[in-house]
Amino acid sequence: MARPATKEKTATKTKPKTSLATPWSVIVHDDPVTLQNYVTKVFIKVFGYSVSKANRLMMEVHKSGRSIVWTGAREQAEMYAQKLQAHHLLTSMEKVDV
Amino acid sequence: MWAARVNEGFLFGDLTPAAVETLKGVPMLIESSDTRVRDRLLPETCEVEEDEEHWRQHAVPELERLFMSRAQLVRRDLDGLRKMPDDTNSVLLVPDEHVNAWLAALNAARLALYALNDMTAEHLDVDGFATALPKQQEAIMRIEMMGEMQAVMLGDYEVEDEGGSFEDFVMD
Repeated sequence: MARPATKEKTATKTKPKTSLATPWSVIVHDDPVTLQNYVTKVFIKVFGYSVSKANRLMMEVHKSGRSIVWTGAREQAEMYAQKLQAHHLLTSMEKVDV
Repeated sequence: MWAARVNEGFLFGDLTPAAVETLKGVPMLIESSDTRVRDRLLPETCEVEEDEEHWRQHAVPELERLFMSRAQLVRRDLDGLRKMPDDTNSVLLVPDEHVNAWLAALNAARLALYALNDMTAEHLDVDGFATALPKQQEAIMRIEMMGEMQAVMLGDYEVEDEGGSFEDFVMD
């Protein structure tokens, strides 16, 4: 009895692990209304980035129209995207092609 | 409008009746059920339909609750608006512990006005005001006024530290 149970457990564990391992990117898009300094402040607050990194990302959003501000596990990406949207930054998420 | 620091937080004074009306519109804009506002404040987040559905089920309800509670907080602070001594204009205290909520609420209101008035980025440029429709011009003025308040709270402007209390500035 024990062996099949172990086998089954291993099989069910493997699938989600593969799916969770696919990295996701959190992307912030430019909008003409939100103040630049506010965007910088939100990056510092949400991610704990340094002022210079937060500024660089803010400028990338402003100049390129979007910036990948974080990449990693889906669950964390969702948490960050939610926090950014809580401050009304125009945020999306996408799976990274690996 | 002027701004100052007092013991309790940021003070915004000389708010005209039009400015007060703009601020009283903030909670209503956050709570708006207009699809243009909702589409901006709760934007499509994932490209794949299944992922978007997951997002709508798990993240959006919490965001909606947060926005509602923020609107209530702003409303409560607005209930504390007081008339300035010998003046028809008003003064508002934004307590330090509410600054982050106000920053986000003002951002939401500015975005909502932009969406509701069919504005484009050009309208917010230096020459944009002249080409805007009257209703857009009104929206631009409101957006800019709220942006000034945000800039004060973000520390973009040096404001006088009066060192006193909110009560020193108002009459009963």
